[in-house]
Amino acid sequence: MDIVKGYEKEFEQLVEIYEKKTNDRSLRSPGVATIIVSGNKVVGLNSVKGMHIKSKERADGLVMIDVEIEDNTIIPVPVHLCTGFLRKRGEQVLKFNYIIGDNVKVKFKSHCILTKVEKLHHYMESDMYIGKNSFVVYEDEHFHDEGGGVFVETITRMKIDEGSFFSSKFYETKTRVGRINVVMDIELLKNAKANLESKIYGREDDIIDIKEILRLNGENSSGIAKSTVFATDRTKAHVVNEAFGNAPYARGHIECNEIVKGNEVLVSTLPLLKVMDDKAELTHEASVGRINQTQLETLMAKGLTEDEAAEFIVNGLLS
Amino acid sequence: MLELKDIKYSKNGSEIIKGVSMKFEQGKVYCIVGNNGVGKSTIGYLIMGLSDYKPSEGRIYLDGEDITDLGITERARRGISLLWQEPARFEGITVESYLKLNRDIKKEEIERALELVNLEPGKYMRRYVDKKLSGGERKKVELASCILLKPRYLIMDEPDSGIDIMSLDMIVRVINYFKEQGSSVIVITHRKEIALNCGYSYLICAGKVFLEGDSKKIVSYYERTCDSCGHVNYLEEE
Repeated sequence: MDIVKGYEKEFEQLVEIYEKKTNDRSLRSPGVATIIVSGNKVVGLNSVKGMHIKSKERADGLVMIDVEIEDNTIIPVPVHLCTGFLRKRGEQVLKFNYIIGDNVKVKFKSHCILTKVEKLHHYMESDMYIGKNSFVVYEDEHFHDEGGGVFVETITRMKIDEGSFFSSKFYETKTRVGRINVVMDIELLKNAKANLESKIYGREDDIIDIKEILRLNGENSSGIAKSTVFATDRTKAHVVNEAFGNAPYARGHIECNEIVKGNEVLVSTLPLLKVMDDKAELTHEASVGRINQTQLETLMAKGLTEDEAAEFIVNGLLS
Repeated sequence: MLELKDIKYSKNGSEIIKGVSMKFEQGKVYCIVGNNGVGKSTIGYLIMGLSDYKPSEGRIYLDGEDITDLGITERARRGISLLWQEPARFEGITVESYLKLNRDIKKEEIERALELVNLEPGKYMRRYVDKKLSGGERKKVELASCILLKPRYLIMDEPDSGIDIMSLDMIVRVINYFKEQGSSVIVITHRKEIALNCGYSYLICAGKVFLEGDSKKIVSYYERTCDSCGHVNYLEEE
């Protein structure tokens, strides 16, 4: 691991928070590819065979990171992307460019540690190209400050080439959200598959915006975009799922479940399906409402109180 | 003892249950038999106290305590439980954690319960209680959950529905298991094979107890008379 001189303390602090939150000690392991960003500085980098990471910090505070994975590379352990902010206030702007070759197998684990801030705007823009017949998993977990002063914007644009599979999981369920705006815009070529899942738990006056777009441009491409939001207190949530069936035999399914608790939440969902080829097939499911009464009563008939039953159901939905 | 006294229940202005009285002693197996639509499941829901099922008249007693106004949780904590005809699905919850339900239950107990309902623990523990389970598998998981609850009174609403015919023996075996454990089972069914394994039966017709007594006699009457009769809440009018 290359730790940037003078930033050892920040590196240690971020790694410690991560380890406490997840019980995962792999960030220090030399065999694990890692990118650790604190504020507007890349403080730790570790690469593995077949993977090249370049970083650049601009004077205006923008941090640019290029990740390239060579054709036919299999990375056996997850690549960790750890972004954190240890000052009380400020802005963190990150730009990731991923170029993933053909026949690659890789899993990214991204963690965003923003637990000690009063007011922060975290903006992350990512462009990812996945070559042919590759298998890529991207898991993104966020830990925010309980004061609600974090504003996260994460914009991802992707192109998935022929025969590749991409799976994404975006979770912000363990800590306060603050404000979050997640955009995933994915283009799928011939025989490519994508599976997008986001789960967010809104508390107090959190604001949640999710937009997931599947552009099924290749023949026989398929995708699922599924969002689950549990909105409590005065949370405002708006979810937009879009799927475009632009090629023969393209199949897309979008699903949004927003579960509300309390009379002051404000939630909405907007599905959009657009078919440009008569052989494409798109479906959607959406539900907005309180926890299903039959589910609650099933658990209450086993002795749980209504609140215990609701917690049990929600924990399952957000797990 | 669990006792229903002159229970009446109406929904959307029409009376579904028209003055039903029943008694269930602990450690015995009872059957509520009758054609579809006569109010059998409604009686089960009234005993469990589901939210839309409050009697308009009559009282329900458990060991002399009036439980008519108690909620579902309170009734469950007093030992009443329900095997649902179509159990709900739960996303993200494994069979193991569903059966455990935040309680301190040993893994071996869970495995034993799954084996009792003909589900291989190694294959099912990590599966989710969601849409991917078949109707029969979901029903068996619910049955295993009831076994682990060790209820004093278990209402089984159509325990065989959704389950393949090969599993009927398992249902009968589980009913007997509850009896051996000292639980009372109230089986709601219209299937002869199940009803014949119960000691005492109530034949329901048009929201009323039409006949009661030894299960063999009641089932025999039901087979001869009710099966082809078509009485579904018309009795009173006739």
